[in-house]
Amino acid sequence: MALYDNKHWLLSHIRNSFISSDDTGMCEMVMAGEDIPRKLISMTKLDYYPGVDESDEEDGEMDVMGQSFDIQSDIDFGIHRQRSSTAQRLEKMDQDRKKTNRIKHVKWEWNPVVLTDEERAGLFERKNFRQNRKDVHVKKLSLLSEQMEKCPNLPQNPFVEYAKYDGNAQMGVSTRKYGIFLTMLETAERNYPMHVVVLAQAKVQDLIGLICWKYTLEHGQHKLKDSVDHYGLYIAEDDGEVDWDFPCLDPRETVGKFGFNYLALVECQKKDEDSKSVEREETEVILSQETLLKPKSQQQDLEDLIRMQGHMIAMEAPLYQSYRVYIINKVRAKTEIHLGVSGEKVEIDPVMQQKVSAKFWNRQKAVSYDMDSIAACDLTDTKSSSRSTFRLVYHHPASGEQAESLQHHSDFSSYKHHDFEADHRTAEEIVQKINHILELRSSVRRKEYLALRERKSHRKRSFHLGPR
Amino acid sequence: MVVSDLFSCNSPSMSGDVQGNSDQVILVTGGYDHTIKLWQAHTGVCQRTAQHTDSQVNALDITPDKQLIAAAGYQHIRMYDLSSSNPNPVINYEGVSKNVTGVGFQEEGKWMYTGGEDCSARIWDLRSRNLQCQRIFQVSAPVNCVCLHPNQAELVVGDQSGVIHLWDLKTDHNEQLIPEAEASIQDIAMDPEGSYMAAVNNRGHCYIWSLTGGVAEEPTKLNPKHKIEAHQRCALKCKFSPDSTLLVTTSADQTARVWKTSDFTLLQELKHEAQRWVWDAAFSADSQYILTGVSCTTLFVVI
Repeated sequence: MALYDNKHWLLSHIRNSFISSDDTGMCEMVMAGEDIPRKLISMTKLDYYPGVDESDEEDGEMDVMGQSFDIQSDIDFGIHRQRSSTAQRLEKMDQDRKKTNRIKHVKWEWNPVVLTDEERAGLFERKNFRQNRKDVHVKKLSLLSEQMEKCPNLPQNPFVEYAKYDGNAQMGVSTRKYGIFLTMLETAERNYPMHVVVLAQAKVQDLIGLICWKYTLEHGQHKLKDSVDHYGLYIAEDDGEVDWDFPCLDPRETVGKFGFNYLALVECQKKDEDSKSVEREETEVILSQETLLKPKSQQQDLEDLIRMQGHMIAMEAPLYQSYRVYIINKVRAKTEIHLGVSGEKVEIDPVMQQKVSAKFWNRQKAVSYDMDSIAACDLTDTKSSSRSTFRLVYHHPASGEQAESLQHHSDFSSYKHHDFEADHRTAEEIVQKINHILELRSSVRRKEYLALRERKSHRKRSFHLGPR
Repeated sequence: MVVSDLFSCNSPSMSGDVQGNSDQVILVTGGYDHTIKLWQAHTGVCQRTAQHTDSQVNALDITPDKQLIAAAGYQHIRMYDLSSSNPNPVINYEGVSKNVTGVGFQEEGKWMYTGGEDCSARIWDLRSRNLQCQRIFQVSAPVNCVCLHPNQAELVVGDQSGVIHLWDLKTDHNEQLIPEAEASIQDIAMDPEGSYMAAVNNRGHCYIWSLTGGVAEEPTKLNPKHKIEAHQRCALKCKFSPDSTLLVTTSADQTARVWKTSDFTLLQELKHEAQRWVWDAAFSADSQYILTGVSCTTLFVVI
């Protein structure tokens, strides 16, 4: 039974099915040149049917002339096909088998056993349906009517727009499952997490909205503030204990980035609200104080924000990131390179030059340094032309026996550096990122280098002070 | 989950089955996109999607105990758990050679009835241990619709050749009637009070019979009562309201029409400019609201 209400769609689907299922290619030869749907339209003006010229939804999505919906092959033709199609198919079969194992199968069976009249009478007994008729006539409001009537009077749930991020309602998209502890609930209710399935591409903000939406469905709306801005998501233990050491998740991040199982919804302490009430009290007293107070509270917020961002950057620091910067070599020539920074290593890759016109000394070889050999990374210069230079110091074991002896002395000579140039923001970001990683790792080399530097600056200072 | 009211509607492209539990009413829809979706009926928020692989959904119904959704598709009837979020079916009924076009349940959930394009209507024993009441009723044309008499013992089967069969499940006695030659019967409905039967065909005509008998040993008698030229084009579904005062017919002419059962005059035409085929309709339990399933969208209509 195929019921579909667009003739042209059906027609082109049938045509395409013929073409794609015919191995001899005959169908294609015969049919491919013709433009039947268009012809039909011009021929049968009376039987006009929406679908070809009208720009309704479906036609926007596909060219009615050319295609029917995609005919899917059994084998997935991926771009990255690492395994053989047989292995993939086997796995798929295995999965299907597992899936069907959980389903109870009932096959139609013709039962030749003739039922006795009694059995038959029992199973197919005629119910006296006219008996209960009286009760039916009592007018009763159905649940739907009740809800429909209530609905327009209710204030619109501010979180309703977030309902679309519910992963339960979707099929075939990646989702994340979280246990959410709601800290605003009564202690007794708070012990169990609310399970929320969210689309992986949703933002943390959307997840908060979805949680609020689910919360309002379960617990009523009155307890919640009307905007997602009042709430933050914190990392939590499986027993509901909030991990206050970490800041709340950045509301603009995608949910898919985080791999936590449990989160806690916490009402943020809004400082400006508190200060507002203070303000109101004090406005009458001294105006000038109010003007002082306000910037202060804002500043406080700003500071919090900056600190929070700092934490965020620190958390993300070990994630690999690639930057496009210039390396400055010894003759002060600049070469564009990719600087890849991860928790493990720093990589320098030359950017492929379009022409080979790059001079030979400009050529930068691809190198990679283990993070443990990196000693420091600092901004060295901030130029007015919105560009900054920064220096990456790394430990370079000098060759030969001489080096070995040198290493013991841990001289500055065993540390080398690269200078880079980039715009302010990138430079700052890289320096910050590398320093966060270095702090986390606290390698021997770094300690050594810092100690050396300390000693050196000490020496310098004493030198300066000396003559005086 | 406590379900307080249920009403059902199904259609291939967009179909609905509406049921409520203690705090919400859920609309179940299925169609050509190989999924079954559960909607919160009064807000239109989609709550869940279940996968219906291999084929479109031809018909939907909910078991009398409100635990399972039955979805009829090509060669299968699949049951989905309503209360869990399992996107896969829990029971799969198979062994039918073609599309299953209609599905429904005996009100105590003892057996299930289906109709299919393999020219047969079947009774499936839901107590899987002893399949003692498996029954099959063969007709000469593909079955488009099946409808159970409120007395739970007579099945009305409508086929593509335009024949309506009245099958007495207890005695196997059957009766045929042909309201209009060569017009495929698209849907049959009986009102809950058992006083009317309506059938719509692919020419858009609606036939009404008044019913007598049907209690105890007395067989049901069909007395032709009305013929309505309900729609200009193929009619798709007809349904009586739970209080038996209204009849709704839906059609490919992109309208749904509501008729009063007192005299079968048109009460209201439900039409929307952007509306396409109206595949199905469902009443709320108090007959105050109609939900219609339209290609691509669902509409809410207040009576």
